[in-house]
Amino acid sequence: MNTLRLGIVGLLLLAAPVCIAQTRLPSSVQAEDDPEEPQGIQMIVTWRPPDEPLQVDGLQAVGQRVFFRKMGEAQWRLGPVVPLDATTAPVGGLKPWPWPRWEIGVSLEYQIPGAAGEMLTVMGRPSTIAPLPEAIVGPVRPVGAWFKPEYTAVLVLGVLVCAIVLITLYTTRGRAEQVYIRPIAGLEAVNDAIGRATEMGKPIVYVSGLSGIGDIATIAAMLILGHLSRRSAAYETEILVPCQDPLVMTTEREIVRQAYTEAGKPDAYKPDNIFYVTDSQFGYVAAVDGLMMREKPAAAFYMGYFFAEALILAETGNQTGAIQIAGTDADTQLPFFITACDYTLMGEELYAASAYLSRQPLLVAQLRGQDIAKVIISAVMIAGVIAATYAVLTTGAAADLANAFVQWFMTE
Amino acid sequence: MRLQIPLLITFLAGVFMAVQFFVPHDLGVTAYTELLNWGRIIGAFALVLGIHSLLRTHLEKIRRRRHDWPYSMVAIVSFVFMVVIGIGFGSDPGSAFDWLFNYVQVPLDATMFALLAFFIASAAFRTFRARSTEATLLLVAAIVVMLGRVPGSLLVLFGQTGVGEWLHSTMPDVSEWIMNFPSVAAKRGIIFGVALGSIATALRIMLGIERSHLGGGGGGE
Repeated sequence: MNTLRLGIVGLLLLAAPVCIAQTRLPSSVQAEDDPEEPQGIQMIVTWRPPDEPLQVDGLQAVGQRVFFRKMGEAQWRLGPVVPLDATTAPVGGLKPWPWPRWEIGVSLEYQIPGAAGEMLTVMGRPSTIAPLPEAIVGPVRPVGAWFKPEYTAVLVLGVLVCAIVLITLYTTRGRAEQVYIRPIAGLEAVNDAIGRATEMGKPIVYVSGLSGIGDIATIAAMLILGHLSRRSAAYETEILVPCQDPLVMTTEREIVRQAYTEAGKPDAYKPDNIFYVTDSQFGYVAAVDGLMMREKPAAAFYMGYFFAEALILAETGNQTGAIQIAGTDADTQLPFFITACDYTLMGEELYAASAYLSRQPLLVAQLRGQDIAKVIISAVMIAGVIAATYAVLTTGAAADLANAFVQWFMTE
Repeated sequence: MRLQIPLLITFLAGVFMAVQFFVPHDLGVTAYTELLNWGRIIGAFALVLGIHSLLRTHLEKIRRRRHDWPYSMVAIVSFVFMVVIGIGFGSDPGSAFDWLFNYVQVPLDATMFALLAFFIASAAFRTFRARSTEATLLLVAAIVVMLGRVPGSLLVLFGQTGVGEWLHSTMPDVSEWIMNFPSVAAKRGIIFGVALGSIATALRIMLGIERSHLGGGGGGE
């Protein structure tokens, strides 16, 4: 009985487009790009709804369905369903590239009223009439934006910083040895730490954070590892690098191998000293803690991005008596490292470490450029504070200008 | 060429990532998503290297009977057991793998995490000693913040007296002020330096100034 009923429904749906009057289906369909949607995958469709929805035996019109398809496609793709009196709807999923042209249509959506008044779907899915040619618009295409205007200030300041760094780099590189670099105690102590490990005949443990290789802090940590392993290779001091990410492990093996080669000690390089532990945060901590308690390293380095494990690592290292040097840009973990480690590189010092340790002219020149950019941006920040205060305390054209200056820097 | 090609790839990838940040168009979004997928695929292959390293490290330790080698045995047996259970019987909710994860690994993780409370206490004990002006300021700020977070303790200390009531009502505000103003100001300063440092580091890697990660001798010339 149910099969027979569904068969009748199907026949009615097939026959419906032939025997209907246009005024009883949606018509006058138009589509235009959605200006609020910058990705360029959505259009706003408008149409004239039916005055009185087309009646089909055994079915009840429950809404209007929007369809879309690429030009030339036979099959319609289902868009949103909206109420019977709706005149507009957004249609998403219209990918603007590789620059297809789209057709969009609107029709009616039907369901079977159940015995208890509930609405049943036909064959397990909503039933609908394909749009008539009069209710189709196309070819149309959404237009994506190529720039986020709300990021204008970010772009301008980013370009400004890059320009300052590059200009300073190329004007200063010839006299980089004259550039003053503020002594950083944590980096000055690197040689002491290596010397201590050499004298004691104990290894150095190097942890490069718990972030992935895509994190700039991890990259900075790997750069420091390069310098550190070059020096430890010269003294043939063992350096143990437990890794939490296999990609980081692979890269660090290459860095350390190269450092040993450059130090003229390629035979002293042991790839097994840079090893993978686990990607589980506390599993990794347990392994590194165990390693430190067993090996009793002379020095421990924690460089990179850290989470809640920072203090567990540093306190364990403290208990083993190792000289500890940490460096992180994770502001939430800095207090823990400052508390438990002998030296801590705070924030940008982590990024300056490579230049500090290598004293390469280009890197030192770049540090100077970074400092000049910092001074300029600090001046802009102070100007912003003054402008914001002025805009609040006064009125008039000058206050509006001050407010516009502050607003320009605002991003979502 | 061994150095130039990686440098070129680094430069192009860096420029693309910087540009796509400002481009909302679907072309940029799709390309970005695709690159992330590539990263995941490379990561999956790298995991094989990671597992090789893990097994090699522990097997070597067992073979040489190094200190605490039985722990390596536990690590390898656990690893093999989880792989067999996971591949053999699936990892759906309610499966043996899921049970082992929820009732073995999660409690073990929680145990390690719980150590943090004791380490915070021992670190605080070492740090909060008024040995200098700065350390004294830190000590006072810490006491105010701690009491402000648990104001009921002030009523226990001072009783329902005028002083107790006043401290009970005032200390949370003072604590909030310390956390919201001096603390945030210091954090913003650090974040500001980090942002500039990140840009400069990215720039020198993209331009090939820093190439110690490629084996170029620590960057420079």
